[in-house]
Amino acid sequence: MSDFIYLDYAATTPPDPRVCVAMQAVLEGPPGNASSTHAAGRAARARVEAARAEVAALIGAPPASIVFTSGATEADNLAIQGAARGNAARGRHLVSLRTEHRAVLDPLARLEREGFAVTLLKPGRDGLIDPAAVGAALTSSTTLVSVMLVNNEIGVVQDIAAIAAECRRRGVLLHVDAAQAAGRVPLDVGALDADLVSLAAHKVHGPVGVGALYVRREPRPTLVPLSYGGGQEGGLRPGTLPVHQIVGMGAAYALAHAAQHDEPARLAALTERLWAALATLPNVHRNGHPTRRAPHILSVSFEGVDGEALVYALGDVALSTGAACGAGHGEPSYVLRALGRDDALASASLRFSVGRPTTTAEVDAVAARVRAAVLRLRALAPA
Amino acid sequence: MSAAYSGLVARLFADLPLAGAPEGPGWAVGEAAEPLSGTRVRFFLKAQAGHVAAARYQVRGCPHAVAAAALAAGRLAGRPLADLDVDAAALAAEIEAPPEKLGRIFVIQDAIRAAALHLAPDGP
Repeated sequence: MSDFIYLDYAATTPPDPRVCVAMQAVLEGPPGNASSTHAAGRAARARVEAARAEVAALIGAPPASIVFTSGATEADNLAIQGAARGNAARGRHLVSLRTEHRAVLDPLARLEREGFAVTLLKPGRDGLIDPAAVGAALTSSTTLVSVMLVNNEIGVVQDIAAIAAECRRRGVLLHVDAAQAAGRVPLDVGALDADLVSLAAHKVHGPVGVGALYVRREPRPTLVPLSYGGGQEGGLRPGTLPVHQIVGMGAAYALAHAAQHDEPARLAALTERLWAALATLPNVHRNGHPTRRAPHILSVSFEGVDGEALVYALGDVALSTGAACGAGHGEPSYVLRALGRDDALASASLRFSVGRPTTTAEVDAVAARVRAAVLRLRALAPA
Repeated sequence: MSAAYSGLVARLFADLPLAGAPEGPGWAVGEAAEPLSGTRVRFFLKAQAGHVAAARYQVRGCPHAVAAAALAAGRLAGRPLADLDVDAAALAAEIEAPPEKLGRIFVIQDAIRAAALHLAPDGP
């Protein structure tokens, strides 16, 4: 085993070799714009529709409900900005959580600057929001609730179906960022009863640069597009379709679909093995609810050490302090602070995330390296 | 997390020269902290004949803070007590710390100043 160990699969995953083969076949094949009516264009269109069906199959949705985007961030923006603006005549109040991904919080902040009212609810210390608290936040002018299914930092799984029931009672749209969920937790849009669901390819061993937004067919929520020109994807996401990217996403989702009964249990066994080894250190804390969680993410806070120093001390182990998207800001994780962790502990936290290639030997090696690094840094720190 | 660390940071973080709490009497102790990042630094200084005889440190902080503390400790020995101030900006520049880390380097300067307050020419 080489010294390099990758345990940052919540940040991104390597494309599965079978995904690469599928994409390469498109890239090396005859050209074809999926909007063209000649034979090559029709072939490209067929590839796109096959991929659309593969993505839809994983989430139990009709293929026509899938809108391809450049990724989950764009899907989040299209859902949130599109639904807010498309329903502004009905109301201008939006509800979400403080622990959402920046791809949700930033568009909400943008809408707030445009005059929308935004309520950001604080989850409990276990990272979960009480669905009744969501219901209590809804007003007659609320048009949209956005809650992620799996938190990208701590891995907790929200009770989306119960939140959807609260939204349904008040005629409020529900958007779910499910970027971390696909292939890791059951993701049936019928059971979730969500109106809009954001998906990513690169979190599931597909390519970076493509994602999708599920848009419920009946009743179909009103969405205003973010851009205009061409009318592709039902006018919601115009632009020439990147066929090779979409084919890659379809292949990745098909693989995840085939493995969805076995892979989550294997991932959970790996994270539990890692936690069992780390928990032998004194003064370590597992973040988030102990059982309502996705199998691939383990968030741990270490008292008495600095998270960045810990990552640096681990050398060739790739993992994150908080979310990868938030790393580099030099501030403690806002998610962990929202859960009540103080600044020092929030800044001394690591997110381990396992994936398809992860082995028990890798997990054991990381546990040993983390233990040694924590003990060294604690010895260096003032008592 | 900063994208890159200089070679000097890498070496000092690996070797941790002069790190750790010293044993024995005669050490002046000063501490400083910066709550947002969780950086906490403690400096130990020992004086003899109006000069710093030895310096040690403990630090809880990012690799830049650790490296800056090690660098500062190495520079303090032999300095006259009247000239103990450490230039945080110069330390930050020497280890090539990014601008957002300067606040953490100032914690080291503050800890040294706090320890210096307890120094007498021949020990605290």
